[in-house]
Amino acid sequence: MDKKLTIGIADMKMTQREGILITYALGSCIGICLYDPAIKLAALVHIMLPLNMEAGRKNPLKYADTGIRETLRQMEAKGGRRSRMVAKIAGGAKMFEVNGGTLGNIGQRNIESVHMVLKREGIKLAKEDVGGTVARTLLFDAATGQGCVRSYGRPELVI
Amino acid sequence: MEIKNYDELSSLELDTLREIGSIGTGNAATALSQLIGRKINITFPEVRIMGYNEAIEWIGGAEEITAGVLVRISGEINGIMLSVQQMEFVNLILETMLGESIQDYSTLKEMEKSALVEIGNIMISTFINAMAGLCGISAELTVPAFTVDMQGAILAVPMAEYGGQSDYIMTIGANFICDGKQVPCRLLLSPDVRSLNFLFWKLGVTDG
Repeated sequence: MDKKLTIGIADMKMTQREGILITYALGSCIGICLYDPAIKLAALVHIMLPLNMEAGRKNPLKYADTGIRETLRQMEAKGGRRSRMVAKIAGGAKMFEVNGGTLGNIGQRNIESVHMVLKREGIKLAKEDVGGTVARTLLFDAATGQGCVRSYGRPELVI
Repeated sequence: MEIKNYDELSSLELDTLREIGSIGTGNAATALSQLIGRKINITFPEVRIMGYNEAIEWIGGAEEITAGVLVRISGEINGIMLSVQQMEFVNLILETMLGESIQDYSTLKEMEKSALVEIGNIMISTFINAMAGLCGISAELTVPAFTVDMQGAILAVPMAEYGGQSDYIMTIGANFICDGKQVPCRLLLSPDVRSLNFLFWKLGVTDG
């Protein structure tokens, strides 16, 4: 039995060579798997919002921009190299068809922000399963670098 | 004193919210009772201020599938209200209104979905109207939206909406009791911080 590490909302965990990283029920949130295949270093960060505009910045992992950067920083501290890293992402759905609200379609904005931050940080986006209207549970295997997306009413998807 | 975050609420302010929850949920229960012709009571209403992951645990796990009806509130106060309908509640509604029941959400037909949306919408509107009357405020409601999916993702909607303001989610709600049996039906009101301050000001709750 592989060791499983559960990642909550606005949370990140890392594992090397073995173990499954798992985050449950991504709605408009996005799960970002970052992987350095040369040293089998895997991280999964669960972000909720596109951009960190908070004055205090108490919780960098809540946001796509600061969440990805903080994860990269911690991976580099463990010997990860950006030039080798790949990213796989899932989430960014629109759970309810409802207009209005201060933020509009948060899922879509999260997707755009994650794409932009990955590009700016020089990380290759290998695969993604984003958008739509379904919630997703994302699993990532540190041994193989393979991701798996579980949804309600949809077959499992390998990413 | 104005609050900036949900965890700054004083005990008097929390009591005020619990009272709003009690009146709102009580009215919603009466409306439901009239619709389905069964006696409905409510449990002691709760005001909860929870961290994100704590809230997911509290509702009963992230991956559990439920039906959710969502209405957005605007006007003098802003917020999101959710009716999270777990299986027991769904079957109570379907049995009394349509004489049917389901084992699995995937078998929900259009007619059954409409019934659930309508029940959710009526309970939410009744709650908000009671609150608006009590506080002397006006509030507009959007058309209800409906989904069946993982409840973690449903609960994340109000979290994300106010995530830029707070690391907490605040919910006001209660469970229903029908024929002596507790039916998990959570009516969850998540107002934004500004609206809370406005409510307290309107009600004269000032010694925060």
